Amino acid sequence: MQHGRYPFIVGFLILPLTLYGVFVISPFVQAFHYSLTDWSGVSPDLSYVGLQNFQTLMRDGLFLQALRNNALLLLGLPAITVMLALFFAFLLNVGGAKGKAGVQGIRGNGFYKLAFFLPQVLSVPVIAVIWAVIFDPTSDGLANSALGWVGLGSFGWLADPNLALYSVLWVLIWGSVGFYLVLFNAAMSSIPRDIFEAALIDGAGRFSTFVRVTMPLLWDTIQTSWVYLAILSLDVYALVAVMTAGPGGPDNSTQVISLQIAQNGFQFGRAGYASAMGVVLFFLTLIIATVMLRLTRRERIEY
Amino acid sequence: MAEVVLSHVGKVYTDGTRAVADLNLEIVDGEFLVLVGPSGCGKTTALRMVAGLEDISEGSVAIGGRVVNKMPSRDRDVAMVFQSYALYPHLSVRDNIGFGLKLRKLPKDEINSRVADAAEVLGLAEHLDRKPRNLSGGQRQRVAMGRAIVREPQAFLMDEPLSNLDAKLRVQMRAEIGRIQRDLGVTTIYVTHDQTEAMTLGDRVAVMRKGVLQQIAPPQVLYDRPVNLFVAGFIGSPAMNLVHATLERGDGGDFTVAVGDQRLQVSEKVLSERPDLERYVGKAVIVGVRPEDMEDATVAGDAEGRTLTAPTNLVEPMGSDVMAHLTLAARAAVTEDIKELAEDDGGRVLDESATTTTIIARFSPRTELQVDDEAKVYVDTDRLHYFDPDDGTAIWGDDNPATTTTPNTSQGTTEGEST
Repeated sequence: MQHGRYPFIVGFLILPLTLYGVFVISPFVQAFHYSLTDWSGVSPDLSYVGLQNFQTLMRDGLFLQALRNNALLLLGLPAITVMLALFFAFLLNVGGAKGKAGVQGIRGNGFYKLAFFLPQVLSVPVIAVIWAVIFDPTSDGLANSALGWVGLGSFGWLADPNLALYSVLWVLIWGSVGFYLVLFNAAMSSIPRDIFEAALIDGAGRFSTFVRVTMPLLWDTIQTSWVYLAILSLDVYALVAVMTAGPGGPDNSTQVISLQIAQNGFQFGRAGYASAMGVVLFFLTLIIATVMLRLTRRERIEY
Repeated sequence: MAEVVLSHVGKVYTDGTRAVADLNLEIVDGEFLVLVGPSGCGKTTALRMVAGLEDISEGSVAIGGRVVNKMPSRDRDVAMVFQSYALYPHLSVRDNIGFGLKLRKLPKDEINSRVADAAEVLGLAEHLDRKPRNLSGGQRQRVAMGRAIVREPQAFLMDEPLSNLDAKLRVQMRAEIGRIQRDLGVTTIYVTHDQTEAMTLGDRVAVMRKGVLQQIAPPQVLYDRPVNLFVAGFIGSPAMNLVHATLERGDGGDFTVAVGDQRLQVSEKVLSERPDLERYVGKAVIVGVRPEDMEDATVAGDAEGRTLTAPTNLVEPMGSDVMAHLTLAARAAVTEDIKELAEDDGGRVLDESATTTTIIARFSPRTELQVDDEAKVYVDTDRLHYFDPDDGTAIWGDDNPATTTTPNTSQGTTEGEST
């Protein structure tokens, strides 16, 4: 160890660590603290109520509804997004045109990559506004007129309590697929081409190449994406807040935990109660991420 | 098992680059054909077209009598060994070898027994449960071989399978590949840029240059009767020495080759073998002499009209032989072929204007030659090679037996060659 090395390292770390402590760690700790109080969010007075906030949560129908909605997003978003992104990335990379020899992507692969990635450069509120317009529930709405042309009638989309959450899920998927497609595409192009060619000669068709070669070799990337999307599906605040009626409507059909936290904390003056929700969300996220990483753990792959 | 026939096969990439032109090969059932040439000569492209990894732009490829131009790789029933081995990193050795069988939905017992047999042959039995990354280079190579063997395909296609191994392992695996191929009798196309591999493994060797087949012949024929300067320079290590010379006929009717100021006597037998030489009398030719066709005259004994003298600039004792680098007073042959070979040889510098040529002779270890000595070199003039300086073709008669393209698997035939 050279003289003066520690001061050097500490010198570099002190600023970022301080910022991280003040703006990330301390709010977490504070949230744990407030979750045990009846703090309103503005008044300097607060008193400790123990675990009462958490007991209330268990009986709060709206919160439980939000929890169920988040659970549905959690089931749908990572699975569908990862599958679609993998499928498209595979086509772009090795799914090649029929009748052509060897391993190659489909024609116009660069264009498709760009097209799929485009939603990623739009901010969430913009996406929300665009889709709110597309999902106009009248028969003149974009989605409805398109369906009208093919004779499928019109739907209420975000205005229909049975359909609203699925519409939100659809927009989430639409917005995420592009990014994961580009991610998987990059991971796939780092797999030596020889391996795909060997599979081809060994007798693998597109499907078996995908299942037996591509998927196992991309496992690390898939796993990380899955966890990321799971965390995203527990949040989704911005999209729901801008796009849905209420927000969270109609009839609380698109209510999510993050929305509940915001409403309780900033509108109803129940910051203590909102903090308790935040604490629950924190542990949920932690548990889900850990469980997912554990369940999907495989041996590392080296070429 | 089957024969593989390439007729008028050509490959043009979409950017207009031509990789292979009018390639005709007829590989008979069970034959080991080696495609050899410097990098970029189109040999790998040709192999990949047979494998179905490249589209065939022109001509047709038939495996076992079926034209496979439009057939996807998986239906061609060929197995390929890649230079990088291309093992599946996530699968154990057992699953790597059995992958193709599993895809073909063979019964489990059958797969297991075939994999076990292949592992036995390749000495992989105790490594079956390991992953490729835990294997040495040689073992990975064996796994790649195993993957090909278990399939019991119509043909093996090997793309420089040994070039990632170190020298010692390469020799060992080379012998093993030869043995396995002979035991299984599977038609094999083997691509390499290593002429030693080509010579030792091939029943026949096809030499390619810039996408064009130069010569296809059994290894010994290729060595003894190269059809042009390119083949002559490519096959053999150290390479054939090539210098400018003039053919002359003396007053007594004797036939001589003038190399610089020195003259070598050539027997009438050579003329009868190469009747076309007559037409070059009084003209410039390129003369080639293999290192082993020269000997230290003090060892071989002086022979009138068959010796050259040249100063020695380097002596390399190899134990079994001594490599003598001599500075011969004659202009070095520098043609397009030779330039290309030099480039492939790591950019050896050629000087067209030089009046001397460094030639390499393989002398007996009994030689006492030292650096800076004036070496007296006995040249076996019956075994000189003659080439046209303009187009580089070997000078023979009308019926050079070495240009045969019909399959001939009897190894080492040397028609009418005796010294």
